[in-house]
Amino acid sequence: MNRRNPFTPATFIALAVSVPAVALSLPPMRSLIEQSMVWHMVIQMPLLVLGGWLSMSAMSHTRASQLLTSWNRYGLTGFFTAQAIVAYWMLPLAVDRAVVLPQTDLLKVMTLLACGFMLKHSFERSPAVLQLFFVGYAVSMMTWLGVYFATTELRLCNAYSLQGQAEAGRGVVLLAWGLGCAWLVAAIRQVPGVAGVR
Amino acid sequence: MLKTFAASLFALLAGLAVVFIATDRGRAFTTEELRRAEVAREPRPIPDLPVLDAAGNIAGLRQRLAADDRVWIIDFIYTRCRSVCSSLGSVYQQLQRRILERGLQGQVGLLSVSFDPANDDARALQDYAARMRLNPAVWDVVSLASPDDRRRLLDSFGIMVVPAPLGEFEHNAALHIVDARLRLVRIMDYDAPDQALDAAVPAKR
Repeated sequence: MNRRNPFTPATFIALAVSVPAVALSLPPMRSLIEQSMVWHMVIQMPLLVLGGWLSMSAMSHTRASQLLTSWNRYGLTGFFTAQAIVAYWMLPLAVDRAVVLPQTDLLKVMTLLACGFMLKHSFERSPAVLQLFFVGYAVSMMTWLGVYFATTELRLCNAYSLQGQAEAGRGVVLLAWGLGCAWLVAAIRQVPGVAGVR
Repeated sequence: MLKTFAASLFALLAGLAVVFIATDRGRAFTTEELRRAEVAREPRPIPDLPVLDAAGNIAGLRQRLAADDRVWIIDFIYTRCRSVCSSLGSVYQQLQRRILERGLQGQVGLLSVSFDPANDDARALQDYAARMRLNPAVWDVVSLASPDDRRRLLDSFGIMVVPAPLGEFEHNAALHIVDARLRLVRIMDYDAPDQALDAAVPAKR
């Protein structure tokens, strides 16, 4: 009968990230993502995923999370879903559409939040080997795409300048390696005998 | 575990299907490729917006192009442009030369349309024509008569204009082939003028 208070510190942290991430799709902040590919792909999109991740952290012991568990053994479903969502929003034509069409932008906000939400659920339930597989795939996909964005002479997004595209490309590579390293650190700390675990 | 397998399989297939459909079956990854594929598959009628020429005359775009049964190669410019339009300008100079060399002036016409009606009045168009050495028998330049039509013009051709530093614009530059029935039938790279010419000649009928 002991009901949890839904407003834990974790809830506030999740809101503190999700609200600005969503606000970037609304005026007046929207002009930032309309004018800068870096703000759109390197700042807003990762913030949305992080917002989803933190939301799941805030509700990891709720019934909803437990109901999801039988659908997400070893985190498989979450990894496949997240991969599909990320792959879609890395298509230049999808990025353009999100800039021009508000309904597409709404879809972007919802799917990327869901992506982070599912990822957190999956990471809590998957063995390190499986994580390595998906993280390795994501890092290599983002690195390849980022290098391509940064080096091609072709303007890939009609909504952004070639210069903005190169900056965003470098940002995506940095982000990929940042995430890869963060995962590695977290994975090593899980190993018994490391980082003070006795 | 069965539930997870079913859900994973669904996520994988749904993801592949969405990407497959969004990219026109894996053929287009950029808006520009998608726009070209769509036009090639399904030609679109061009809009009849009032345009202003260097002489100060105003007429509908369709009406103007229908005056003879030439195929038109259209590009979008603003006359203050120093970046991509200057190379587009030299592509048009090349095209003008090639049309005259091949004696195609009765079959193919060139039209530059300004999307910057705020700055490009008849006077600016005259300057542009002089600077680019337009041969009026081959190459024509017009601007929008009403600034309110800008959005419609750009949308109907699928042009996206992004403000760039120093008051310039960045936009997806290309060669737009409009057939004698006033339909946009092909969109081609602006650095391949000869290919555009080869595509334009049979588009006549």
